[in-house]
Amino acid sequence: MTALLGGSAFLFLFMIIGVLLIFAYPSIYVNGFKFLVSGTWNTPTSASVVLVDGFKELQGASYGIWVFFVGTLLTSAMAIVIGVPISLGVAVLLSQFAPKRVASPISFCVELLAGIPSVIYGLWAFLVLFPILVHTIEPALNRYLYFIPGFGGRVYGTPSGVLASGLILSLMIVPIVASISRDAMAQTPLELTEGGRALGMTKWEVTRKIVLPYAKTGIIGSVILGLGRALGETMAVAIVCGGAGYLPTTIYGAINSMAAFMALNFSDAGSDVSGMTTSALAELALVLLAVTMLVNVVARLMVRRGFFSSAEHLVQV
Amino acid sequence: MASFSERYKKRHGMGGMVLGVVVLVVIIVAALAGYFAASSTITASTSTTTSIITTTLPPVTVTVTNTAVSTSVSTTVSTQTTFATPTLPPKGSSSLPTLASPISEAGSSLVFPLFQLWAANFTTMYPNIQVNTAAGGSGAGQTGVEAGTITIGGSDPFLTNAQQAAYPNILDIPVAISAQQVNYNVPGLSHPLNFTGNILGGIYNGTITYWDAAAIKAVNAGDASQLPHQLIVPLHRSDSSGDTNLFTTYLSDTSPSWAKNFGAGNTISWANVPGAAAESGNSGMLTGCQQTQYSIAYIGISYEIGSSGAVALGLGTAMLQNLAGKFIAETQANIQASVNAQYINTPPSERYSLIYGPGATSYPIVNYEYALVNMHQGNANLALDLRTLLDWATLPNYGNSPFFLNQVGFVPLPSSIAQLTWAQIAEITV
Repeated sequence: MTALLGGSAFLFLFMIIGVLLIFAYPSIYVNGFKFLVSGTWNTPTSASVVLVDGFKELQGASYGIWVFFVGTLLTSAMAIVIGVPISLGVAVLLSQFAPKRVASPISFCVELLAGIPSVIYGLWAFLVLFPILVHTIEPALNRYLYFIPGFGGRVYGTPSGVLASGLILSLMIVPIVASISRDAMAQTPLELTEGGRALGMTKWEVTRKIVLPYAKTGIIGSVILGLGRALGETMAVAIVCGGAGYLPTTIYGAINSMAAFMALNFSDAGSDVSGMTTSALAELALVLLAVTMLVNVVARLMVRRGFFSSAEHLVQV
Repeated sequence: MASFSERYKKRHGMGGMVLGVVVLVVIIVAALAGYFAASSTITASTSTTTSIITTTLPPVTVTVTNTAVSTSVSTTVSTQTTFATPTLPPKGSSSLPTLASPISEAGSSLVFPLFQLWAANFTTMYPNIQVNTAAGGSGAGQTGVEAGTITIGGSDPFLTNAQQAAYPNILDIPVAISAQQVNYNVPGLSHPLNFTGNILGGIYNGTITYWDAAAIKAVNAGDASQLPHQLIVPLHRSDSSGDTNLFTTYLSDTSPSWAKNFGAGNTISWANVPGAAAESGNSGMLTGCQQTQYSIAYIGISYEIGSSGAVALGLGTAMLQNLAGKFIAETQANIQASVNAQYINTPPSERYSLIYGPGATSYPIVNYEYALVNMHQGNANLALDLRTLLDWATLPNYGNSPFFLNQVGFVPLPSSIAQLTWAQIAEITV
């Protein structure tokens, strides 16, 4: 029975990859390597259909995902940079410093946060975060931190962009990273921490010198799991990214990510009677699948030491 | 701490696990079955803020009179054969065959408010026929009808030649005439600003960056001192949008360099203007324009008027330059003038663009709103109900009456165009 169920999961995964490959083949053949490095995605729906390399395509169409690829990496990197310190702080607090009756409700809430659908984060960003960004955060960053590359320049009136996407993604990975790191830290053998206290170390020294090094692999694994979620995040990013076709020059400019672009533009695929846009979107889906699968596999290999299984239920896309 | 599933397995064993999963699935399936059973007995209502009239319209005797035609147009009727005005079945549940599922309409967000009004009122006349409406952009409407997933695709532009060649069975049926305006959020102006197509093209391709640019001041001599030295934030549509098609057609018609570099379409490759942002749907453009100071956006007329429209929100509406060189405001009279000057040229296929037409007082961005429908519905009852719905919508004393069109700012189809529409509707069969 379990072999059957396990085998069906394998089968499902290969089915998805197979179907995507079949749809993406025209685009892979026609666009080649240029697909990954070109920054122009253009579907001239009014043009006529021509034959290119034996496949039908709209005249003047070009497909390049460089902007979306960089956008995905940029927003995820920003999410990690903002979110991981916060998550580690929360994890250290919950596992080392907080008394039991405070730590339990807080960790329960943190785990609840991981279960909230991402589109709700997007809506919250649209209603609450945007006004704060436009009126308070962005002008302040621009005024005081202008020397950091990317923080200077002009602040535009629209809050949607790299900063908003990075903030909302960091909010979404904090529950995952915090829970798994807290579990990793809680697994530190008692004799090591107690031994440290017995030698006269302060609680903070015990945390810094004993707990964190012991939980290092688990923490890194959790960060990579969080990165995996941030890479695949669709709806929240679609709402806050600003739908750009070009890379922005500052963090206040509009951006796009692979998942958000696919969500917003799949109707374009239907308008293209030659079918090449559908094919290009399928190839984009393959690239996104490859990136997230790679990250998830690396994460699981790193966190295998045992404390991963207890937080398995938190991982979702 | 072991996970929930591990603790459960330890306590209840493998058989308990399977039993638990089966029980859970049965509960979910039972809940879904109950929900569907309950909802099928409740008539679905899709109207949101638009008002529903509870009294049916009185059946006025159907005499179709020509709308006022300007004297510069020849009064001889074209050689198209006239099509008899359709008669509707008497109102009531027994007049039309009931369908297994509601008639679905989706697509253009510009025509969406009108379809919402029509759907609600059509159902009061024939209570057994439900019509579901949705927005999503003209591109989604076109794709849906081509794929057969929706019955009526609302679309601002007619299908392109390539699409029509690939799907020759899809009819482009105009149901009303709409318009589009350019709204902007600039405080402290006392009069609406004038814009030419070239200036708008310059804003959207990044060559005109400030509100007090020389080009804008040149056409707004009276208000030049009120223009602030602020960056313009151009907003465009992120989804596959008929409004983008209308706007870029206007830009292409007025500026050969725009036609060469960007062209017109439901989506185009927008220029890299720093600070520009994309919004989803006409409602997204309206919200984005209202929330972003010094922004400019192209929005459909159905979002201009009304209690939550652009005017009510305090946004400015541009006076656009027409083919005759005049700066024209978006009023019903000016839209009607644009229609009157050129509707005679519409071919029987009704695939015709009214944008940037002749006439001294013509508003430049005016177009037929299309209901894209497949000629072959596969089901005689569905074909009959669909024909009745579209006839109802385009009759001047029912769907095309001022009662509906004034709420969204549209104008009715001229009499000869309505006849072409009715001729196309009659082609919808099994």
